[in-house]
This record gives sequence, C-alpha cells and structure tokens, in this order.
Amino acid sequence: MRDDIEAAARANLILVLDPEIEPDAVDADLDLADGYGLSSLNKVLFLTSVCDDTGVSLSEFTEHDVARMRTLRDVTEALARHATIGVAP
Amino acid sequence: MTAPSIVNHIVAAPPLSRHRLTVHRLDGEVSLDLAELYAAAGRLAVQLRRLGVGPGDRIGIHSANRLEWVLLDLAALRLGAVTAGLEPEKFPAEPELLRRYRMKLLFTEAPAVGAGIVPIDEAAKLAEVPGDGPEPVTYTPTDVTTLKFTSGSTGQPKGLGATVGSIDSSLWAVQRMFDHRPGDHLFVFLPLSLLQQRYWIYSALRFGHDVTVSTYEAAFAALRQARPTVVMGVPGFFSTARRQIEARARRSGSTVDVVAREVFGDRIRYLWTGSAPATVDTLRFFTDAGLAIFEGYGLNETCIVTKNHPGAHRLGSVGQVLPGKEVLLDADGVIRVRADHPVNTRYEYAAPGDSERVFGPDGTVLTGDLGYFDEDGFLYIRGRADDVIVLGNGRKVIVRPIEERLRAHPAVDDCVLFCPSERHLVAVVSPAGAPADEVAIAEHVAAVNAAGHADERIHRVVVADEPFTVANNQLSSQFKPRRQQILARYRDAIHDSQRGIHAR
Repeated sequence: MRDDIEAAARANLILVLDPEIEPDAVDADLDLADGYGLSSLNKVLFLTSVCDDTGVSLSEFTEHDVARMRTLRDVTEALARHATIGVAP
Repeated sequence: MTAPSIVNHIVAAPPLSRHRLTVHRLDGEVSLDLAELYAAAGRLAVQLRRLGVGPGDRIGIHSANRLEWVLLDLAALRLGAVTAGLEPEKFPAEPELLRRYRMKLLFTEAPAVGAGIVPIDEAAKLAEVPGDGPEPVTYTPTDVTTLKFTSGSTGQPKGLGATVGSIDSSLWAVQRMFDHRPGDHLFVFLPLSLLQQRYWIYSALRFGHDVTVSTYEAAFAALRQARPTVVMGVPGFFSTARRQIEARARRSGSTVDVVAREVFGDRIRYLWTGSAPATVDTLRFFTDAGLAIFEGYGLNETCIVTKNHPGAHRLGSVGQVLPGKEVLLDADGVIRVRADHPVNTRYEYAAPGDSERVFGPDGTVLTGDLGYFDEDGFLYIRGRADDVIVLGNGRKVIVRPIEERLRAHPAVDDCVLFCPSERHLVAVVSPAGAPADEVAIAEHVAAVNAAGHADERIHRVVVADEPFTVANNQLSSQFKPRRQQILARYRDAIHDSQRGIHAR
C-alpha cells in the first residue's frame, strides 16, 4: 500500500515540476518548495491529485497539516496513515 | 445620476433572495443562507459594540479565509467600524500590532495572547449571542471602511484605506459588465484581506447569487464541489491550472476541454483574471478550452480601471475603461488614472514621499505602467515600470528596493530578480569581478534575506557568466538591466531549481 502511494505521489509530483523529471529521480527527502521550487499552488494541485489517485480524502488534513508536508516522504507518510482503498489505475 | 450605494444597501436590510455563502477549508465546509449571514453579522456587530468597538474604530483580522473573516467584515460594516486585513504570513500576531495600527481589537487564528487580542473563533461564538442587529449606519462616499496593507518601498507595509465611493462605483461597473444574478455562483480563494475578494460577498448580498470562499489549500478540491459559474483568480493561478490540465490530458488521453471541466467544474460562465499581466497563450488556452477568461487592469490605489467582458473583449488587451474612471497617457505612454470616486488620496504608515510618488496633486494616480489604446479604446499594457512581481498567492513584491539592497555589496555589480515559480525570487547577479566571489555573494544574499520580509526572500542566485553590458545587450543605453534579454539568456538556470547558489 505504501509503495503504491509513493508511486502515485511521484507520478503526480513530476506533473507540477518545471522542468519535468523522471518519477524515480525525485528525491523523497528534498524540500518540495526550497529544493524543487514548488509553488504553494502547485503543492495544492499535487496533493489534490495524489489524494484523488489514492482514494484519500483531502478533508483528512488541515491547512496546518499541509504546511507541515515539506517533502515527498512527508506526503507519502501522511497519506499512508489514511489510505484504506487501492490506488486508482 | 449617481447609482445608489451598494454598501449602504447591504448594511441597511437583509437580502431578500435565498442564496448562500459557503466557506471551504480542507477539513470541512460551512454554508449559510445569506439572510442568516446578515443576521449573524448583526448580532456580532452588537457584541463588538459591547466590547468597545464603535464607528470609526479599527479591528484587525489576522487570518486565512474562514467564515469568521466574513462575519467580522460584515459586522464592522454594520457598525461603521474599519477593518484592517492582516495576512498571517506577513504579520506576527503580537500586541505591538494593535498599537502600531491603532486597533481596538485584533482577531487572530494564531495562538497569541495579549490585551486586545481575541481568538478568531470567538467571533463565531459572539455571533450566536441572541439579539437584534445594531442601529443602521449610513456611509458617505468618502468614508473609509477598510485598510489594506501593501508592500512599501522601505520593506514596511504601508496602509491604504478604501472609500465607500470607490467600492460602490467598482461594484456597479462590474455588475453592468457581467450581470451577476441568481443562478451565478462566484468562487473566491485569494485572501479576503485583499478587498476585491470581499466585493463578491457584497455582490452576493446585493444582487442575489451564491458565493463560495475557500482557503488557498482547499481551492482545487472546493472548485469541484462548488461547481461555480465564475472563478476569481490571478494569472499565476490560471497558468498553474493550465499546466496541470495539459499534463493530465496527456496522461489520460482526454481532451483539454474535458480536463478543464474536471478542474473548474461544468458550469463555468467565465474566469476572471487581473492583478498582473496574463500571457496571451494562457488566455487563448482557456478560451480554446471553452472557458471564457477576461483580463482587466487596476492597482490597489485605483481599483478596477479597465476590464474585458462578454460585451467588449479583445485578446491581449486589458479591456476598455470603466465608467467613472479615466486613463491618461503621457508622451511616454505612462498611465495615470483619474476616478470619480478615488480609492484614496494618500497612504498611511508610509515612508515620506511614498504617497506623493503615487497620488498626484491633480487627483490622478501615477501607476508607473506603460500602455497604449487601440482605435476602439481597448487598453494594452506594455510593461510595468515599477517592476512588481505578483506571487501565485496574489501578494505583490516590489523588486526594485530588493535589487538595490543586493547591489550594495562590492561583489555585486548589478542584478535583476525573477520569480519563475510564482513563489521564489531568483536573482541573476552580474559579478563585480572575475571569477565571481560566490562566497561573498552568498553571505550578502543571506544578510539581505534576513533584513527583508518572507515574500522578499531571494531563494537562489544565478551568477551571470559574463557581466551585463551594453555590448551584450543586457544593459540598455542608459545602463539599466534589460530584464527580458537577461531572462532569455539565463532562462534554463533560472528555472532549474538545482542550479545556482542556494541562499540561506
């Protein structure tokens, strides 16, 4: 389950990176904002898409929770705590 | 004939229509009938009065978007009190704020304590105390209802009060262009501390339509739920959405118009953009995807000056001039704006000279922008003489003072700032010597960052591989950096977050 979530997170993260990189090239511990230059709006889009693909409701989180998700690993771990169904194909 | 005041209308009596305000945050939503919103604001106004807030007094609202923000704003209007919207990212919630900005109370979502500081969720509780609303107030066009804070040349935010006349005239002009009506549902996610975002709540109360207010973080999720007919955004938002739509369309094999409707909902009548120039490519993208998008022009100091709309629209322009506004161009094309009902004639809490640089003695606002009209009266903006960067969150950064601070170090000959991700500033530095003293530059950038506000933070520095010169076309004949040429030369490095000196 966690691997599926991480794969979904990688697949969605690269869609908002400029320039795009390969999913496997994403450093799970690099700061999304400072390291990858992710704007707050892109972070919101990214999270919304990962939640869609993993079946985790965005409403599981607060604005403060989102602020605390700084890396891909943070996102994966936060979603894994709430994931109950399979990842969308 | 002067149109009747919308502000006076919405404070005098409850709305007759049964439309709703919905507020989305990530962890849930709350929805009120507008008549109930009016009643709740009235009850809160009475309680604020009991706490010592009277006509002309200021209350601070220090919070992201939430229901209490709306209640406090409307309660203040009902009382004749003045709101001061304070973005939590810019201002720490501390007692000093009350003193500095002469506020009776400061409502905050931050865990702060001190005399006059009130947890913002108390506002919702006060609005539940049974009772009637306050005695009605009546505003004159020159009364100020709210104070907005905007970037100042010294780095300290300066205040700008907005008059009732400017609010009324802008809302009437918008209404004549867009005819917001029952069946419409306006979507707002930019901070309510930006007065124009509250216009759409006033519009709902006056003209009878639904309105959804979302936090920034909940925006995309809320859009799908709300299924709005109108989305109020800025270019950074729409360009980000465009990239996402294109990426999803590529991934799914769907067409962009199908994906655009998945993102924005299936009832869009039009998208609103302003505050900064949108690229023609982005405007055309949404138009081609079947989502009409209308760009306009205006500053905090002028409110809306021009706007494209369904009845008069020309791609690449910012529309025709609104009734009640006049655009004057000098010989160089620099834009000044005259208004029947000016937003104001001066700043508050500004450095000496700040007001005089913008508010002319002839009653015009000196925008510093460059423009021209076509034969049909559509205004085109050629550039921003003030070099303002609008971040993706709608906040503005004036880059010139930051660049000046950066140039103050002997290792830096010249520099320009860019904002490739709508979030981070990236400096391109022309070094004073060869090889560049990167250690000294990095230390200086760290010092500049430490002295500036969070939005002004320089994230990375790209060191130019040759000095800016007139010969290499990176300086103008007046030895000013040519931004577009420098951007073109260093575009890859500016956009690549792995390159350059990462600032502390």
